[in-house]
Amino acid sequence: MNSAEELKNLLPGSVISTGLQLNKPMAVVKKEDLVKAAGKAKEIGFDHLSVITGIDYRDHFEVIYNFFSYSKKQNLAIKVNLDHDKPEVDSLTSLWKGADWLERETFDLVGIKFIGHPNLIRILLPDGWNGHPLRKDYDMNTEQFVTIGDNGDDVVSPDGTNLLRRK
Amino acid sequence: MESDELFINMGPVHPSTHGVARFKLRMDGESIKECTPVIGYLHRGTEKIGEMKTYLQFIPYTDRLDYIAAFPNNYAYVKAVEELAGIEVPLRAEYIRVLTMELNRIVNHIVSIGSLLMDLGAATMIMWGFRERENALQLFEMLCGARMTFNYIKPGGVREDIPDGFIPKLNEFIKDMEKRIVDYEQLINGNEIFHMRMKNIGVISGKDAVNYGWTGPTLRGSGVDYDLRKYEPYSIYPDLDFKVCVRKEGDSYARFIVRMDEMKESLHILRQVVDNMPATKLISMAEYGISPMTGTPTAVSTYFPRIFTPPAGEVYSRIEAPKGELGFYVVSDGTTKPYRVKIRSPSFCNLTAIPSLVKGLKIGDLIAAFGTIDVVLGDVDR
Repeated sequence: MNSAEELKNLLPGSVISTGLQLNKPMAVVKKEDLVKAAGKAKEIGFDHLSVITGIDYRDHFEVIYNFFSYSKKQNLAIKVNLDHDKPEVDSLTSLWKGADWLERETFDLVGIKFIGHPNLIRILLPDGWNGHPLRKDYDMNTEQFVTIGDNGDDVVSPDGTNLLRRK
Repeated sequence: MESDELFINMGPVHPSTHGVARFKLRMDGESIKECTPVIGYLHRGTEKIGEMKTYLQFIPYTDRLDYIAAFPNNYAYVKAVEELAGIEVPLRAEYIRVLTMELNRIVNHIVSIGSLLMDLGAATMIMWGFRERENALQLFEMLCGARMTFNYIKPGGVREDIPDGFIPKLNEFIKDMEKRIVDYEQLINGNEIFHMRMKNIGVISGKDAVNYGWTGPTLRGSGVDYDLRKYEPYSIYPDLDFKVCVRKEGDSYARFIVRMDEMKESLHILRQVVDNMPATKLISMAEYGISPMTGTPTAVSTYFPRIFTPPAGEVYSRIEAPKGELGFYVVSDGTTKPYRVKIRSPSFCNLTAIPSLVKGLKIGDLIAAFGTIDVVLGDVDR
């Protein structure tokens, strides 16, 4: 029995299906029960949250959490499916401190909202940036100009009016 | 007694930031009350570029992530693609890959230790370190013509076989490096000022380190015995003899010592690789994809077509890069370009812990703690 099936046995109501992510066990979990499932995974030894990946599939979003257990030396991936109109899922920051930046990055680049995150702001791109680049409908042709404002914050404008030389 | 709160902006251009990182510091007198890292100055949208380039075209971009140690980046991406497509790799190519990666690990640790010492005010180490690094870079240049951005490891093997005269030069390097590490230790390890700056500074317990998602030498400095090369072995690591360097203390000094020990282990690995490398003979390998028009399978690469469509699927593949766990999440939809490339960079995840690590310390200690985490901003910002 692999770790995904183990999780399904423990939480039969939350785990929709189990399968393989190529060679690693993966469990698809109801999005409402993510924190419960991740908490249970942590309980049975999956203490390392390796990566959070958000993927835009045009009709829905997927968020994949890759876990690893230092004691058992096993892998586990948990996947949730989100609506395209309302990409929201509960935050795992209460369980893993390392989830903080990983979730901020996923919010920044893919635009998935993590409910309950203490500080869900952009991390790699400047505040005020328009759009989330890793979405498939992101417009690559629109230019955006970034300068530093009076108080040190980033100012983004689509037409470059904030640039000194254009004034 | 409470003094006035002072706001200090450190960075984005500061010698100790190893790139462009900025810290917003709220100071209570001389001690740090709150530290907020601001990153993203070097963000180049590598993941988005990954979606727009073919599998082969993306490999040079991985060089630019962690530019101090680029071979492991090449390999981590290539390994994900190979797992996705089920490509076989000749044994000799695996030996060459491990050779380059371990050599790169030494280079990375030299730069890491050298710049750490320079930040603490001792410039000797970086001068000495760069002398040895130059020898290693010349070896890389011999191998693939580039010193820092290689584009050498490709799906199915490596680009070219090792040139004549490489192995003797490598042996010379190993012999020289063994002596140099002893020199480094004599220079640094007993230094009382160094001990005062490093010991009991930036302490993190093993449990917290795991919770923050720390990996690599930083994690092993906190007493967690984990190394992907040993416990989730890939390539030829199962056949190699090496030990995992662990220190229990969890302070800056422990992380520094782990790196020193790892350099010795890497030299040990290099010697085994040189001794056991299979001779250059054409090994017939299963061909991948359509029949080759130009390329033929050789001892160092299976045939790999330019237009390449792996089967649809997704994979998360990770390796032990010099800085920690480097992973690539590659999703294929069966076309010539990846549908999504996600990079799990060790520097980014290790940097998460910095605000809690330096709380209550002085600014100088922030430099020491930041130096021992060993980040490269190209890797953080991607």
